[in-house]
Amino acid sequence: MFENYQKDHFFDEMFVSGDHDVFDFYQPLRERFDRLSEAELSEKRRRVDHGFLEQGVTFTVYGDEQGTERIFPFDLIPRVIPDAEWRLVEQGLTQRIIALNLFLHDVYHEGRIIKDGIIPEDVVKTAAHYRPEMLGVQVPRDIYIHICGSDLIRDGEGRYLVLEDNGRCPSGVSYLLENREAMKRAFPGLYRKCGVRPVDQYPELLLKTLQHLSPRTGQTPVCVLLTPGVYNSAYFEHTFLARKMGIEIVEGRDLIATDGYVYMRTTKGLVQVDVIYRRLDDDFLDPAVFRPDSMLGVPGIMEAYLRGNVALANAVGTGVADDKVTYAYVPDMIRYYLAQDPILDNVPTYLAWKADDQKYILENLERLVVKAANESGGYGMLMGPSSTAAERAEFADRIRHTPRNYIAQPVVPLSRHPTICDDMAIEGRHVDLRPFILYGEDVEIIPGGLTRVALKKGSLVVNSSQGGGSKDTWVLYR
Amino acid sequence: MRLRVHHRTDYHYTTPVTDSVNELRLYPASGRWQSCESAFITVLPAVRLRRYEDLNCNVVHHFELARPHQRLTIESRITVTTREKVDFEKLPYGFHHRDLPRCQRLEECFPFLQDSHYVTRTPDIWRQALDIQGGSTDVFQTSYAIMEHIFGGYTYRSGATTVGTHASEVIERRTGVCQDFAHAMVALCRAIGIPARYVSGYFFDATRDHRLRGSEASHAWVEIYIDGSGWIGLDPTNNKVVDATYIVIATGRDYRDVAPVIGTYYGTGRSSLSVTVQVQRLAE
Amino acid sequence: MLSRVADSLYWLSRYLERAENLARLVDVNRHDALDSTGGEDNEAVWRPLLYATCTETAFTEARLEGDPHATEVGAFIMFSHRNPDSVRQCIATARENARMVRDQISEEMWLELNSIHLFMQSADAEDLWRRQPEALCREVIKFSLLFQGLSDATIVHDEGWQFVQLGKFIERADKTSRILDILTYFTEPERTELASVLRSCSGFSAFRAEFRGDITLPNVMAFLLFSQSFPRSVRFCVRRLDGVLHAISGVPIGTFSNEAERLTGGMLAQLNFSSLDSVWQSGLHDYIDGLQQRLNDIGQRVFETYVLLPSEIRNVNRADGHRPQLQAQQQQQ
Repeated sequence: MFENYQKDHFFDEMFVSGDHDVFDFYQPLRERFDRLSEAELSEKRRRVDHGFLEQGVTFTVYGDEQGTERIFPFDLIPRVIPDAEWRLVEQGLTQRIIALNLFLHDVYHEGRIIKDGIIPEDVVKTAAHYRPEMLGVQVPRDIYIHICGSDLIRDGEGRYLVLEDNGRCPSGVSYLLENREAMKRAFPGLYRKCGVRPVDQYPELLLKTLQHLSPRTGQTPVCVLLTPGVYNSAYFEHTFLARKMGIEIVEGRDLIATDGYVYMRTTKGLVQVDVIYRRLDDDFLDPAVFRPDSMLGVPGIMEAYLRGNVALANAVGTGVADDKVTYAYVPDMIRYYLAQDPILDNVPTYLAWKADDQKYILENLERLVVKAANESGGYGMLMGPSSTAAERAEFADRIRHTPRNYIAQPVVPLSRHPTICDDMAIEGRHVDLRPFILYGEDVEIIPGGLTRVALKKGSLVVNSSQGGGSKDTWVLYR
Repeated sequence: MRLRVHHRTDYHYTTPVTDSVNELRLYPASGRWQSCESAFITVLPAVRLRRYEDLNCNVVHHFELARPHQRLTIESRITVTTREKVDFEKLPYGFHHRDLPRCQRLEECFPFLQDSHYVTRTPDIWRQALDIQGGSTDVFQTSYAIMEHIFGGYTYRSGATTVGTHASEVIERRTGVCQDFAHAMVALCRAIGIPARYVSGYFFDATRDHRLRGSEASHAWVEIYIDGSGWIGLDPTNNKVVDATYIVIATGRDYRDVAPVIGTYYGTGRSSLSVTVQVQRLAE
Repeated sequence: MLSRVADSLYWLSRYLERAENLARLVDVNRHDALDSTGGEDNEAVWRPLLYATCTETAFTEARLEGDPHATEVGAFIMFSHRNPDSVRQCIATARENARMVRDQISEEMWLELNSIHLFMQSADAEDLWRRQPEALCREVIKFSLLFQGLSDATIVHDEGWQFVQLGKFIERADKTSRILDILTYFTEPERTELASVLRSCSGFSAFRAEFRGDITLPNVMAFLLFSQSFPRSVRFCVRRLDGVLHAISGVPIGTFSNEAERLTGGMLAQLNFSSLDSVWQSGLHDYIDGLQQRLNDIGQRVFETYVLLPSEIRNVNRADGHRPQLQAQQQQQ
């Protein structure tokens, strides 16, 4: 299967560099695949895809009137992470989410990190998702980001780096869980042989995290999942999680906020809601406070929230921590609040609002990736090496005009992983990793995460909206 | 044994307090018998945390909180792997009382043979210690007897003593909690020349009925020095030689050297404190 | 369960029942038109249909504005976008409701509904209508029956399922009464018209079994209004409605806990004890009008009880003087 595999000059997840051997933790996988004929592999793939369609594991393509639903392309070769490597990642992510939460608490209270000159006040206060409404508010259990999905990449040497922290409404965990089910069906023997740590406890842990926030004690908290509705691209995930947790999935119009409490409208009357897992950005949450034109939210929900009668996960205002300029300061936050060095490094980042950095960015545009500070999903981005002169000129103007809004990073040669491509050929494709972190009574990280893979040859963009697929991620017991 | 600890301390003040300065000894010690996988110590309201090592080589975190506040939360989350410190097949017998004076000259032992803030050697304590020793000439055997004496003869009762109760008082009343038992044992050991130090940490109660004491809180026990074997842990609260279920955080002459959270503040209101500790065993 | 979910299930089911009845009506009428003197496109034959579906004005307007589907009544009822109650529109609305509650219905139900929707939207459907109109009508009817079977066999019979039943029986009672109302369009309905009304309710054979083929106006009326066992008679539907409402509230039959139950109970009692005499007294058309009015009231009360706003907060005012904004779904008739 792998005889014609080319590693090229990238770090490969499976093959030892400069060699045709695989890392020992990939050995059982290699043996299994070597025994597979192309026809068998193709048949397995057909069955898995069919399974996804039947289960309705789909996402909606925007701008399609018929609301076409597609399956998220899935690759049958799993990514394997040995235990020791995973522990390092786990510690690094735990450290990070703790520091980010302390940072959020700080900027919405005393602002010590600003006063001590670690992070410039401007950076915080001009972040698009900074919420002055949250100043001085005590959020349940002092936790802001309860559910975080950080994006990790590995560089040319195989070091894990954090690319971004998604502290608002990270998605993708349902694919992780469904991918695992599919792999267990497709390769039961290999799965058992490798000794893979399970992931199916996630919905239970998520529910525990939510219940931990309930302002009402002495009874089982009423938790709900608030979705923007059926037209949202992640609607499948919303129904999936709600069903697995056994909680109601609600839309804004199912909730009523009155007298500082939130209720859901049921056929048996109004039921008080304690915890809302909202898959809706701050902007749409409360039309009375944030965006009068929004029909998705619940008027009055902010009042109930500020009075402490209902908990929101994640808290309002967490976006200031996943701003791309703030990101550059996370290592400093870790040193400041935890008196430790960061376990996981950032990708080196140049900030256009710093004069020196801006000069460097403008002089090296064709070698850098430029990103808008507040966009996600691969939008508002300039890939220097593949850009045209006109695009670079346009970005240079934009950077000079609103420097706060841009950062630049060197192009990291993402690690590659063998992936089944057209005609069943196995080729190397770039991958990243999105682990899911829960912060309730304790920090829990589900082993592995969603490995996203850029299916287009040579592409470094792994987003599902831009031709990305996914793989199952196997964290081993050993 | 891979263990995870979550230790949370909450202070509430009835009126705002200011200028709080605190030292935390919550970071696990490391050595060949214990390795720290991760440790995160957090303070709310968020502050800048500084880190240094004290004279006993314990890791200390320090912070200042000048502005008025009514709440202070300190959390520590640690994951460590522990190993057996002693070979239970071959306990460290064989070190004689007559060889104890050698320890006086060891830098490592000297401070743990002297009086300290909570521990004073008195003639009465010395006499009690000699009684317990009886005819024994073996240091480990004597130390074990002191531990059994405390475990069997003292009453464990929370609320009977305070954070400031002195070892002499404990020995007189024979009542207290783990801190007091450890102080009593340190005093009895030092009285007859056995180097003894106070240890703070946690332990995982692996018994099926969770009958051991102190597993739901920050725990304290004693280490004695045996020439040739080093510091050996004995837990007078549970009558146990310290094994892999114990996590060592800090060691010192007595509680004062190792207090997990200690500090000062300015303010007139009353303060209340709540502490929770959870120790959990993880898959290796 | 969530009010919105109950509401969507209710309307999903109502719109499908409506589509089925319309398709049957068109099929029967088209068949009858063949026998009449003016040929298939004779408007006089189709007029009663517009009358029964209350779409006379919409049809005239659509025709004036050149709606390609308004050249003939059948196509107008089957396809027109100008007609909010065309079969095509009913199925699209039903699908929209199903989409809102996709996780509450079975995969099979969704797949069938989605495929009939896609078919009705396509040119194939119009093509089939031109070549074999009866085949298209049968297709819609067959789908509706299949869907009912699936909803009985593939989802749990919980509260949600009861709302599906609620929508079905309230719509069916309404449609049967409307079809019967066609007879008041004629001064002296003849055998063919009576037979066509029975066929429009899929009740021709059942009627023959019960009345030995004696097709008279009083017999047809008695059958469609009061039959105990014919599943499309108004009485049968209202009896099921009463049962479903009590199953939802958990209150024993014969008592009531809300307006919808009280009205249904009253209506059922009246249907149980009234005879044709009372119909003659008020006149058939007015009698049917009365029935429809009551069905509308019941629908409205169901909506108020379970969907709109529970009574607890009807009078709540917020401190800042704003009242919560209401957003409700289709309110028809």
